[in-house]
Amino acid sequence: MSLETLWLTLLGLLLAGYFVLGGYDYGVQMLHPWLGSRGGAGEDRAGRNGALDAIAPFFLGNEVWLVAFTGVLFGAFPHLEGTLLSGLYPLIVAILVGLVLGNAAIQLRGRSGGARARRVWDALIVFGGAVPALCWGLVIGLLLHGVPRRADGSFHIGFGAVFSPFVLACGVTTALLFAAHGAGFVALRSGPQLAARASRVGARLLRGVAAVGALALLLTLFGAGASMTNRVTSAVVAALFTAALAGAWWSFAHKHRVRAFAATCCATALPVLLVGAGHYPYLLISSAGTGLDIGHAVTDGATLKILSGFGVLVVPVILAYQSWSWWAFRGRTGRRHPSYF
Amino acid sequence: MSAADLARLQFAATTGIHWLFVILTMGLVPLVAIMHTRAAFTRDPVKRAVRERMTRFWGQLYVINYAVGIVTGLVMEFQFGLSWSGLSKFAGNVFGAPLALETLIAFFAESTFLGMWIFGWGRLRRGVHVTLIWLVALTAYVSAYWIMIANGFMQHPVGYEVRDGAAYLTDFGALLSNSSALVALVHVALAALTTGGVFVAGVSAYHFLRRTTETELFRGSLRLGLWVATVTSFFVVVVGEMQRPVIERTQPMKDAVLRNSGVAEAQARLVREHGPGDYVPWQDTVRISMDVMTIIGNTVSTITLIAVVLLWKDWLLRRRLALYVLVAMVPFPFIASVGGWVVREVGRQPWLVYGQLTVEDAFSGVSTTEVAVSCAVFVAVFVALAVTNWTLITRFARRGPDATQLGATEPLPAQPPAGLAPRTPAPLPHATASLSAPSSPLSSVTES
Repeated sequence: MSLETLWLTLLGLLLAGYFVLGGYDYGVQMLHPWLGSRGGAGEDRAGRNGALDAIAPFFLGNEVWLVAFTGVLFGAFPHLEGTLLSGLYPLIVAILVGLVLGNAAIQLRGRSGGARARRVWDALIVFGGAVPALCWGLVIGLLLHGVPRRADGSFHIGFGAVFSPFVLACGVTTALLFAAHGAGFVALRSGPQLAARASRVGARLLRGVAAVGALALLLTLFGAGASMTNRVTSAVVAALFTAALAGAWWSFAHKHRVRAFAATCCATALPVLLVGAGHYPYLLISSAGTGLDIGHAVTDGATLKILSGFGVLVVPVILAYQSWSWWAFRGRTGRRHPSYF
Repeated sequence: MSAADLARLQFAATTGIHWLFVILTMGLVPLVAIMHTRAAFTRDPVKRAVRERMTRFWGQLYVINYAVGIVTGLVMEFQFGLSWSGLSKFAGNVFGAPLALETLIAFFAESTFLGMWIFGWGRLRRGVHVTLIWLVALTAYVSAYWIMIANGFMQHPVGYEVRDGAAYLTDFGALLSNSSALVALVHVALAALTTGGVFVAGVSAYHFLRRTTETELFRGSLRLGLWVATVTSFFVVVVGEMQRPVIERTQPMKDAVLRNSGVAEAQARLVREHGPGDYVPWQDTVRISMDVMTIIGNTVSTITLIAVVLLWKDWLLRRRLALYVLVAMVPFPFIASVGGWVVREVGRQPWLVYGQLTVEDAFSGVSTTEVAVSCAVFVAVFVALAVTNWTLITRFARRGPDATQLGATEPLPAQPPAGLAPRTPAPLPHATASLSAPSSPLSSVTES
């Protein structure tokens, strides 16, 4: 494998890691008022929310996967970074505003004075989960479908491109998938009552994912959806995605919480693989087989070598301390967990 | 206003506000780490309880500020690609590397370790817990290093060559030892510590003015804050002056503006070198900012020195006027730091990469409507965050250690039936003490 492919793999790993980890954060953010509401399962009178407690110790460590993705995108693929982010301007701005408000709300909710202030923070938490989840799905849809690149390589998405049926279907699928994934995480980490409820919600959401995802697939089959460069690879990844969804649904129904969460993890990571492997060697297509390829997106060889020297040392360290933090805060929430958020 | 001007305003406003959070984060975290270490190494249980409360009180204020710091920092990582894609086209091969390394080496670790520190009270072993806050402090400064390397390249590009209109990295060592970055980094780090020290001293003084009963806690905080502020504010002025020769060598126009002489000659020289254009930054803005920074720097340095002398035999604590002065001093390091930022960033206009790429040429060509909308939204959100941040910090600072939520353990009743039992208020003030008491369910975790 060449050095540039290796860096593309790392870039994909960081984005997939962000989808898996950030994905359940957004899912829990979207669901928390309902999962932790008056039913008594999640929220108590001081406003502690069982669903938010589940993600709390991991939240700060999850969000930085996106930051690392952006950093590597700029460092290793600067010619993709400028084009991609400025081309997707309105969507990226929406994602950022959602992230800023949602992240701040999660961290400051517990500092608020009364129930009214908490309701405002709660609304922001939901907004900050739903908007990034939906918009990342739209971005995935656009990348699968292709963007209208101009002669100089730049592009600019307009209203029509975003609000096409296929792109919208991808957006809704992703939002529902993140929500189901979040439910899976709550089911994994919470006490029995809340966990049972989260499992039911997760199974129901997965049916929605399947329905809207099938629409996206149909549109593709009729030529109005994704235009993939590598068709066989894409079909395999899509089949794996379907299998992961089915596995998650079955596991939710049979109360296998670890398996259900593992399956939703696969399902949230696979769209990244679909975009990467389905279009390789292209990173940004205008239609199947044309667009910006890896050779034109990657940074200069000398820079890449220097980055690789650091990467060999730093990436294993990152994985080690992230795993440590998951291990340190393992187990269900409750007695031994200091709350803060 | 053109689209490029709006994008400029968006960048300046978001960076400027983000900077105000950063400087307090960087200034507070070493102090919190020192407090936590002292607490961990104290044998006497009563003293240790006081020092742990002290750590949690200041840690709480630090964590509130960090929350808005990290979310605004997230936006910063995207800003270059959003509005200034010309930068990645021209300098992506060089400029991208330090940003990538900043995220991988520093930002990632800082956030993960802070998450563990926040939730590690009573759950992690004491030594591990203290190590975490030091790792957070270390990575915060490593982060600053890489950001200043990236910024230093924009101020004074080194270690590269231009082929076919794009910059290529030729000397990584030169990039990492750019004098324009390193001297500024030391200046920024000292300024942050001054800000943190003055903040801690000011809040402590406020509590003495209100005749706090937590004298031991706030006396220790006041001493630590004042000592740090006195030493660092002396050197921040010295290192600040050390930047002048670097500016003179690398940015003749900024130097001319600051000296208020030779601006016309510098303009003529730049026109000869780079073709026709206006190469003069906003002169008055730069000069006023410089004066404000200098005056505040010297004043803070003097006041803190006098206050440190008055610490002898606790004279300071009995002089209400002196305490008022310390409280009033809290905002000034922030103002000075914004002044410094203006001198550095406005003073090098119109260049994005000095002598190579102008800000105007680097603009992405996004439509005016889009930039106007995003600029309005971002400025509104950031201002709201700043107001919220300072409101919350003020609220928690005034309430004192009793209201600290960080590291407070919930009362753990044996699952009362939902909706029946009225909730008992959390025994916040005594939470830490309970950590060391053998009867606590948490202590078994701490020791295991």
